[in-house]
Amino acid sequence: MQPQQNGGEPHLKPATPFLEVRNIEKHFGGVRALKGVSFSIEAGNIYHLMGENGCGKSTLIKIISGAQGADAGELLIDGETVTGLTPVAALAKGIETVYQDFSLLPNLSVAENIGLTQQLVSSSGKLARRLDIPKMRATAERALAAVGLPANRAFLSTRTDELPMATRQLIAIARAIASDARLVIMDEPTTALTKHEVDNLLGVVDRLRAKGVAVLFVTHKLDECKSLGGRAIIMRDGQKVAECDVETHSKADLAFWMTGKVLDDTRQRSAVTLGEKLLNVEKLSRSGFFADVSLSLRKGEIVGITGLLDSGRNELALALAGVSPADGGGIFLEGNEIRLVKPADAIASGIGYVPEDRLSEGLFLSQSIKDNIVVPVLDRLRNAIGIVDGRRSRALAARTVDDLQVVSAGVDKPVQSLSGGNQQRVLIGRWLTIEPKLLILHGPTVGVDVGSKDTIYRIIQRLAGDGMGVIIISDDLPELLQNSDRIMVMRKGRVVKTFTAEGLAEDVLSRALTDDTIARLQ
Amino acid sequence: MTETTFSSAASRSESPGATAGLWAWLMRHPPAFTLILIVAVSLIVGAINTDFWQVSNLFDILRASVVRGLFALGVLVVLASGGIDVSFTAIAAFVMYAVTMLVVNVVPGMPIVAILALGALGGACFGALNGVLVHVLKAPSLIVTIGTQYVIRSFLLTFVGTALFMNIPAAMDAFGKLALFTHHSANGSTSTLPAFVLILAVASLVTWWILERTLIGRAVYAVGGNAGVAERLGYNLRTVRIFVFAYAGLLAGIAGIIHVSSNRLANPFDLAGAELEIIAAVVLGGARITGGSGSVIGTLLGVVLITLVSNVLILVGIPSTWQLVIVGIFIILAGAIFSIRGRQS
Repeated sequence: MQPQQNGGEPHLKPATPFLEVRNIEKHFGGVRALKGVSFSIEAGNIYHLMGENGCGKSTLIKIISGAQGADAGELLIDGETVTGLTPVAALAKGIETVYQDFSLLPNLSVAENIGLTQQLVSSSGKLARRLDIPKMRATAERALAAVGLPANRAFLSTRTDELPMATRQLIAIARAIASDARLVIMDEPTTALTKHEVDNLLGVVDRLRAKGVAVLFVTHKLDECKSLGGRAIIMRDGQKVAECDVETHSKADLAFWMTGKVLDDTRQRSAVTLGEKLLNVEKLSRSGFFADVSLSLRKGEIVGITGLLDSGRNELALALAGVSPADGGGIFLEGNEIRLVKPADAIASGIGYVPEDRLSEGLFLSQSIKDNIVVPVLDRLRNAIGIVDGRRSRALAARTVDDLQVVSAGVDKPVQSLSGGNQQRVLIGRWLTIEPKLLILHGPTVGVDVGSKDTIYRIIQRLAGDGMGVIIISDDLPELLQNSDRIMVMRKGRVVKTFTAEGLAEDVLSRALTDDTIARLQ
Repeated sequence: MTETTFSSAASRSESPGATAGLWAWLMRHPPAFTLILIVAVSLIVGAINTDFWQVSNLFDILRASVVRGLFALGVLVVLASGGIDVSFTAIAAFVMYAVTMLVVNVVPGMPIVAILALGALGGACFGALNGVLVHVLKAPSLIVTIGTQYVIRSFLLTFVGTALFMNIPAAMDAFGKLALFTHHSANGSTSTLPAFVLILAVASLVTWWILERTLIGRAVYAVGGNAGVAERLGYNLRTVRIFVFAYAGLLAGIAGIIHVSSNRLANPFDLAGAELEIIAAVVLGGARITGGSGSVIGTLLGVVLITLVSNVLILVGIPSTWQLVIVGIFIILAGAIFSIRGRQS
């Protein structure tokens, strides 16, 4: 097919799109993951492939990038049908993917991670080739400069597992643009980045666009999608449910298409009657991380704690969970001083802690939902001869799963078979089995899609309603505004301001994170 | 932001204090640790018994390192790809015995180059079989190679033969005796450095070149680092797996021929049980058992260390039964140190 000039005349057909997806279908066993999806991608545009976890967007990406084949349907690149696309062939066509996990090789150097792919592509995947080291280095230097990373020798030879997350993310992007990319797919690229780094990334995206490269974001972050603009392709349950210009529709519209539900992002918190005093933290310190943190919490109260990464908020959470103990000050629960030097102390005192990184700190991914839930109460479930009672633990797990609306194919399925939001609910459910007086949630909705977020918020509200004290540590400000009674802002290890959440504007809270003069004036 | 993220990464490699800096450097260069152990053992043994410093002793150590070294290079390549191979001794035993038998009975005049090539080819075929099984069955390579080790060894003993060949082919005999250097010491004794050490030298260079200077070499480390990611990036896992096991088999085949030539005896019961010692040598040389790391120089140092311990402790009156204690302690030490390294990174 000949590419046609558009020339601005309306009656002419537009130029052939770079990529066209036609009626793609994919089955996994009996499950139809994709039920005939079609869309096209034109050079120099920004696209957002949106949808909740499990809607089929990851499968679609894998098909476009050659990692999986489709069962039916067509893929057209520059108007020509391609069949049997392999990862190397997709790369050769200029389709580059930045995976959510970055897909960097941890034991190889920065230069190798960036430059090897290109050599693999130029040999069509054949491995019996000499390595062109100068070329690899030149490629890496060019790509690093494009994403704003240093390109000196020491950095080029650094192993990628020695670098911070944000740098790894940029290296993954550098690899994608190292060769002549025509479409860069970015799978949830901003999850690991701070605000500043996101801005930097957006700068890179602008430059790509200016060069005529199409960028496809896979995301469920509505705010980012709105700020970037472009076209949204929205999927639900294996089908494309909508395609529209991001500018012309509201966030509520997008969220409705993604979830099929009307979600309200208004305050979940209404007038609540607070119980008696539950927790009193007095001048808690851990040298080098935070100092003189005082906080009190009543039964049924929800307190949010926020701050930048280095504010000490994470360390404070870990101290209250007994993971990394404080070295000064005191913690009083229901009037009695408690000492938390190991996680078991916190559990014994009735403090449940849901960690931030549920994959590496929280869940036993390959084990069943049941085993993950009953872990803290194995003692209680033991029968006379010390063996865990299978029937009782199953009943407890089933009750918890039911209670928290975990969508699963049964409590014996491994946790890794669940979506992020459901995994998070299993993790929360685990701590509910100890019937905690105080629940500490660290980033409760990181990597969780919109619909699941809503469910998790409702759970949190219900728990507080039942008289549990809740502390939410999060950098998702709307989340804190929606869910808490008070919000504590930390900066450089100290509490700089405590706000009443009711009626608080997001920008006031946001400014308090970085500017302590404003925080003091408020 | 970019500058700060980078400096935080780089600062880890810079030293706050001299000791800490040295320690950090050692963690990054595991072969240096192996070298320190070699020097320490040499100095201690040499101080107690000055016979250690004889040229003949050096020659002995080098001679004894050749077969181990060839095995170890093969193990290195498999370990770097994230696999493990314990069948190489069985492959070597099969190849050396079958080739010797073939040459003696069928083509007695076969030149050594052809014999070595035949050994290499036979070993590579067995190795490729390992690779195919590991890839197709998606089974752990440890289990697969334990299986093939048993099958190959018992096939050898059942169907090929159990009788020793005392009279090995002339070409192999000559090759085993061929001297690179001959040293006449003051007391009139003569010691020789066999020419087959050159084969280890060549094999080391070739292995280094493949691992560091070719795409397949980088692919081996890529797959060892994270096989799932490597596959997604377009590295062909089947090619890599077949290559690493075939290469290990090839080196094992050559090692078998050298073993026979050097001992002037083809014994099908030989080499059994040496697997762990070789894997230990490679791990002592800095390769992680979990894959994705290891170097040729480290592997060679690991082999020298193991050979040194098993050859020279007798000089200081440590009975041979005790040598394994020392080797064991070194392995635990290396394991502990590299596990600390793993936790830091």
